[in-house]
Amino acid sequence: MSPGTLTRLALAGNRTDAARVALTALSAALATLAGLAALTVLAIQKPPGDAHQQSEQYVNALLREPGLRGGTAFALLLLAIPVLALAGQSARLGAPARDRRLAALRLAGATPGQVTRIVMLETGLASLVGTLVGLAVYLVGRELLHRPDANGQLALPTDVLPPVPAMAAVVLGLPLVAALATAVLLRRVAATPLGVFRRAARSGSPRPWPALLIGFGVLAAAMIEPIQRAFRDARLDWLAVVVLIGLFSAVMGVILGAGWLSYLAGRVLHRFAGRPAALLAGCRLADDPWASSRTFAALLAVVVVGGGAAAFRAYFLLNEQLQREQNRQAGYDDEAGLYGSFYLDTMDLIDLAIAVAVSIAAAGLLVTLVEGIVSRRRAYAALVAIGVPRATIGTSILWQMLAPVVPAVLVALGVGYAIGRLLTGEAVRGGYTQEVCQATVELCENPATRAEYTELVEVGRVVHTPDVPVVQLAMVGGGAVAAVLLTVGLGVLFLRSNTALEELRVG
Amino acid sequence: MTQLQARALVKSYGPTPALRGLTLDVAEGEIVAVTGPSGCGKSTLLHCLAGILRPDAGEVIWRDHRIDTWSEAARSRLRRTDFGVLFQFGQLVAELTAAENVALPLLLAGTGRRAARTAALTWLDRFGVAELADVRPGEMSGGQQQRCATARALVTEPQVLFADEPTGALDTLAGEQVLTQLVRLARRQRTTVLMVTHEPRIAAYADREIVMRDGAIDHTGLGLDAPMAGGTR
Amino acid sequence: MGVVSTSHVLLGLLATGTMHGYDLKRAYDERLPQARPLAFGQVYATLNRLLRDGLVVPAGHERLAGPDRTAYALTDEGRAALDQWLGTVEPPMPHVNSALLAKVVVALLDADADRARTYLVAQRRAHTDRLRELTALKTAPEATVDDVVAADYAIAHLDADLRWLRTTLERVADWHREVHS
Repeated sequence: MSPGTLTRLALAGNRTDAARVALTALSAALATLAGLAALTVLAIQKPPGDAHQQSEQYVNALLREPGLRGGTAFALLLLAIPVLALAGQSARLGAPARDRRLAALRLAGATPGQVTRIVMLETGLASLVGTLVGLAVYLVGRELLHRPDANGQLALPTDVLPPVPAMAAVVLGLPLVAALATAVLLRRVAATPLGVFRRAARSGSPRPWPALLIGFGVLAAAMIEPIQRAFRDARLDWLAVVVLIGLFSAVMGVILGAGWLSYLAGRVLHRFAGRPAALLAGCRLADDPWASSRTFAALLAVVVVGGGAAAFRAYFLLNEQLQREQNRQAGYDDEAGLYGSFYLDTMDLIDLAIAVAVSIAAAGLLVTLVEGIVSRRRAYAALVAIGVPRATIGTSILWQMLAPVVPAVLVALGVGYAIGRLLTGEAVRGGYTQEVCQATVELCENPATRAEYTELVEVGRVVHTPDVPVVQLAMVGGGAVAAVLLTVGLGVLFLRSNTALEELRVG
Repeated sequence: MTQLQARALVKSYGPTPALRGLTLDVAEGEIVAVTGPSGCGKSTLLHCLAGILRPDAGEVIWRDHRIDTWSEAARSRLRRTDFGVLFQFGQLVAELTAAENVALPLLLAGTGRRAARTAALTWLDRFGVAELADVRPGEMSGGQQQRCATARALVTEPQVLFADEPTGALDTLAGEQVLTQLVRLARRQRTTVLMVTHEPRIAAYADREIVMRDGAIDHTGLGLDAPMAGGTR
Repeated sequence: MGVVSTSHVLLGLLATGTMHGYDLKRAYDERLPQARPLAFGQVYATLNRLLRDGLVVPAGHERLAGPDRTAYALTDEGRAALDQWLGTVEPPMPHVNSALLAKVVVALLDADADRARTYLVAQRRAHTDRLRELTALKTAPEATVDDVVAADYAIAHLDADLRWLRTTLERVADWHREVHS
């Protein structure tokens, strides 16, 4: 097959395909920005000096302190996760039409390899356009944002550029990875020329096995403290990996568990629903419960992280409060000092990142929802034709989204909070002995007389447990559900145009 | 010379058997119609012989090659070069023009675009739809689409043409025109044709008719179990 | 099948221009290729009748080496008669081939299942063979429109016979299953 033919076939498509290509490019651009931002943070050179020498040219401590930059870069990379989820969801856009086209190509004698190459080229080219746009935005953006303030400090590290090979790896590597991922996702479609006629049935209904994954994740988090205590002195870098694996496993458990929850919700709705809207929703949920896992994957992942962040914030708040008390007792001002404000500021940034991630996840949700409505438009139009009000269909879509997402969000919050709580542990004060000089200031300050008046005092061990941050958890969960509601509202707008009775005549 | 052989083909979809040890020989240049009631396994037979499906047991032999053991890619190449496939509908790529659709097998095989287009136009002309070369399938009638599909199936001048209800979606006249042209070209080029249909009128275009029932050949041609006589009193 | 009205067909042929009796016979056979060929005697007998009724008139002589050849032309009355015939609806015939119907019914009523089966297999084969023959005739590259139209007529009827045969067999088999199960 000549490159020209390959390109022609890769670019053949209708408007939905064009939308998919545009969204793929957009996700690639966003992911490129996240990646380049992370690289830029890593590219900041530590000024000569000791290990804690700060880069004074920046306003923000996250950029100034060498010890924090790794974490900052990592957080920026984490933002790429909902972006990738968005990319995955847009890949499903127009999938039935594309599958039909690919099956037709196979029927005309295209080998599975040729079909895979065609699709890889489509995704690869779209992503390449996206990464190039992302690169352009990054390069232009760093010029525009390079504005030192009155102190000559920078808000962003616009003074450094990541090494060119690293940037090239992001710009060229991302399309390659996207193309490979597409190839993997399309295995089943490419396998048979009759692909569209026979749908592979998923075997069996979901079972609550994902709970094991969640259990493993929580267990991993719970094991961290005892392990640290057991190997007090050893450097335990691998513990970070354990935490990451545990977190990943818990997130996967929540996402896969959404399938089971959705199946359960569908069964319950089906059995007890008295109204047609809930009945319709119940049937659809029980029929394809994994759709919920796919739809809400990004959102649930963000909610797990949000739950964890809430636990961390509660812990830092408690510490801050204790610090204030200690300071007050010690007679200093009632202030928490740098410690509290720094961590709480960081938490603000993380919460901002979570809010951004929820918005991106909601965008992905909207894509999936609209795609679902469009691909089922004939069925919906048929319902309208037999006299089902559009409002009923809209309500059924609402049910279909809310019934699984509410319990799933609760589970995700619980899991995230539990892991965060286990990782932070309790705030312990005391439990050690302290030298106290029981005399006047003069005597104590004189080294000769000081020892005489000094006693060892046992400071009682007090364990402070952070309160459950109900308000913040409610905000994360409520925010997620509100995002879903908003998405449904927007999606239902598409319902009217897609249930026009003319749809029935479209072959 | 025998062009295509099925040896004791068995194929099931889950617990449902579609072919139960079917054996069939098709000679070179022969036009064979496979008929039978719906669900008798005739389409499955066609798909197995064309290398689209793999039989669970048995052999598919094309000119001394046992093709059912070939890889998916090898069978795809065979479908592109030596086999042509024609279905009831849905086989044209909606996003490509008629000429591009017809040229597709050639393009997939690596023919240059200009040469492929020339060949496609020749074949569209043979089926009387040359003026539709730059029209997309969505804007054509069913008959026009099927002419394009037939042109595409023949553009590589295949040795065997597989047709599954090729006129099923067409009205009588359009169907006859497509079939007449197809049969004429097949006879001229000594193309072997295997055609699945449930209509006796369509099966009559073939040199030979195979009647199937419950995944096997029904030699009575009646497609019925005894007893079918013995008194209606 | 309805009896072909030879006189009206001859009037129709003459409507295209004057013809000799011999030309008329040839044109008749060409236009209706699947019908029984027309005998010369019948052509002249029919022409005489048309002459007597004033529907045709002689239109000149030609005396070559051979018999007397008279060309005939359509009169106004003849055209009127033709128009009237073309304007009359043919009665739809419910019993296309009543011999087939009778035989199948008798075969199905027969207590000997084997003999009925043998007959039905043979009858079906004969029908499909004829269907194939006619289709081949029709798809031959040299086939004319007349060939195709005539073949279509026969094919449609054979096809109907075959469908009816098949439905009847299924119906009887169903009935049999119900009664004997």
